[in-house]
Amino acid sequence: MTLIGHRPQTESPTAPPELPIRQSRERKNGVAFVILVVVCAMLFLPVLWLLLTALKTPQQLASDPITWIPTQPQVQNFIDATIVLPFWAYAANSLFLSTVTGVLTTVSSALVGYGFARLNGKGKKVLFGILIAMMMTPPIITLIPTYLLFAKVGLVGTYWPWVLWGMAGAPYLIFLYRQFFAQLPRELEEAAILDGCGRLRIFVQIFLPLSKPVVITAFVLSFNGVWGDFIAPQLLLNQDNTTLAVAITTGYVNSQGFPINNLLAAGAVLYVLPVLIMFFFVQRSYVNGFATSGMK
Amino acid sequence: MSTLSPARDVRQKSRRGSTGFRGSGTFYAFISPWLIGTVLLTLFPLGYALWISFTNWDGIAPNQNWIGLKNYTDALSDPRMWASLQRTGLLALAIVPITICGGLGLALLLNEKVHWRSGLRMLVYLPAIVPPVAATLTWKLLFDRDSGAINGVLAIFGADAVSWMTGNTVFVVLLVVMLWGIGAGVLINLAALQDVPAELHEAARLDGANAFNSFWHVTLPSISPVLLFQVITTTIGVLQTFVPALLLSPANGPAAITAVPEANRIFMVDVYAQYFAYSKYGYASAMLWLFFLVILVVTIITFKIGGRTVFYAVDPSKEGKEG
Repeated sequence: MTLIGHRPQTESPTAPPELPIRQSRERKNGVAFVILVVVCAMLFLPVLWLLLTALKTPQQLASDPITWIPTQPQVQNFIDATIVLPFWAYAANSLFLSTVTGVLTTVSSALVGYGFARLNGKGKKVLFGILIAMMMTPPIITLIPTYLLFAKVGLVGTYWPWVLWGMAGAPYLIFLYRQFFAQLPRELEEAAILDGCGRLRIFVQIFLPLSKPVVITAFVLSFNGVWGDFIAPQLLLNQDNTTLAVAITTGYVNSQGFPINNLLAAGAVLYVLPVLIMFFFVQRSYVNGFATSGMK
Repeated sequence: MSTLSPARDVRQKSRRGSTGFRGSGTFYAFISPWLIGTVLLTLFPLGYALWISFTNWDGIAPNQNWIGLKNYTDALSDPRMWASLQRTGLLALAIVPITICGGLGLALLLNEKVHWRSGLRMLVYLPAIVPPVAATLTWKLLFDRDSGAINGVLAIFGADAVSWMTGNTVFVVLLVVMLWGIGAGVLINLAALQDVPAELHEAARLDGANAFNSFWHVTLPSISPVLLFQVITTTIGVLQTFVPALLLSPANGPAAITAVPEANRIFMVDVYAQYFAYSKYGYASAMLWLFFLVILVVTIITFKIGGRTVFYAVDPSKEGKEG
C-alpha cells in the first residue's frame, strides 16, 4: 500500500492526524478516480441522450442546428409511446416469457448442477465435458435449425419453446451451481443420509437454501436473457404474441414508414427500465453469486 | 495385483457408503433435464442442420434432394462468404483485445480506493446490462444524420453532417455499439482481483517490486484463468454477432435483413439472409456448419495458447474431487 505514497494526496484535510497507518490505508487514489469519472461519463452519455431524445418534440428533433436540451420536456411522450403500439400487451408477453423461463431455468439448472457436484455416475466426466462444450456453443447456431424443427411440429407461434428451453436448464448456470455446490462440506448431506433422507429432499431442504446468491444470479441472468432476446421471438412468434424487444424495433414508425424517434426513445427507456431496476436491487447477490461460485 | 484389489474394494465400498452412493441412477435422474434438453434442443437441431446442408432444400418444397457436398464447395468458392467471414474476423480482432484489456483496466481502477466506488462500478457495468436491442437503438439515435449528438458535435467544429448509417461508416457504429459493453467483465474481474492473496503483494513489495512488477508477476498470473475464460466467451460472443448489425439496417421489418449495408454484412447476417430472404436452406445450413467448425477451431486454438500461459494456483484436474 505504500506504493501509493508517491501519488498526490487526495484525502480531506480534516482526516484525523493521530491515525497515520489507518490514514494511509484509507487514502483515496485520485488519478484512478479521475480516469474512472471520465470513462463513466463517456459510458453514460448515450443513456442521457436517449432520455433527452425521449423528451423532445418532433420539431426539436428536426431542428438545425440540433437541439441539445429540450426546453419544456415532453413527458407526454412516455404515455404516447405506450399508446401508438400496444406497449403493455407486449410488455406482458415479455414479462410472462421471462418469468416462466427464468423460474424453470433456475430450478432445473440447480438440479443438474447439484447432480454434477455431489453425485456420482457412469460417464460423469464425459458428460461434464459435454456441458463445458455446450457452454461454448453459440446459441444462434442451434437456434435457426431448432426453429425449423419447431415449425415442423407446430410449436411456432406458441410459448412452448420457452418452456422447453427453461426446463432444459442453461449450461452456464449449471456450471455456476456446480462450482458453488462442489465447495460445500460433505458433512452437510452425511447426517441427512444417515437419517434416511432422499437425495431430492437433501437438495431442496439443505442445498437450495444455501445457494441463495446463485439462485438470484441465475434468475436475473435468465430473466434478462429472455427479456433482451430479439432473435428467438422474431423467428418463433408473430405480431400478436411477440415480445417487447421485437415490438419496439418495428412499432414506432409513422404512416410513411419513417421512425418516430422521440417515441422510439421513450419506448426504449420504458423497455430497459425493468432490467436496470432489477439489477440495481439484486446487485449484491449478483456479485456474490459470481464470487462464491468460483468463476475463475 | 491380487493382493491389492481387496483393499481397494473395501476403500471403494466405504466411500460409497459414506456418500450414499447407489449406482448411477440418482445422478442421471438429477441431470436428466439437461441431458434430454441437450439431445433434443441442441444436438438434434445441429444434426438436422447438417442433414439439410447436404440437400438443396428451399424451405418450402416437401422433398429435398441429396446433393452431397455441393453446398460446401459452393460456399467455399463464394467470394461473398469469404468477405463476410473476413468482416466477422475483423470485428473480433477489434473488439476482443479492447474489451479484455479495457475491462481489466477498469477493474484495476475500481479495485483502488476511490471516491464513489460502488456508484462508479455500477455505471461501468450499466451499458453491459442494457439489452442489445435497446443499446443498438440508442446508438442509432446518437449517430442519426439530422438529430444525432455525434453530428451535432461535428457541426460545432464546422464539419459537415456524416451519413453514418450508409456505406462503410456503419461498421464504425457497429464497433461502437459493441464496445459500449466493455464493462461486462468488470464484476468477474473485480471478484478475481479481490481473491489475489494480499500476502503475495506484500512479499513482492518486500522484494522491491514496483507497482508494474507486482501487477505483471503477481496479479496477472493469479487472475489469468478468469481472463482466458473471458477471451473465449467474448470471442464466441463477437463472432456470433447478429442483432446489432440487423437493427442498424436502414430498413425495418422483413426488408431489414437484405438492406444491411455491405460493410455490416457479417457472417450471421449472411446466414440469416440465405435462409429467410433467399430461401437457400441447404446452402445456409452448410454456411452455419462451416461457421460452427470455425468457432470450434478458434476456441480450441485459444485454449491451447491460453493453457500454456494460464497459471492455476490449484491444479484444475484435482479441483472438485473431494466434492
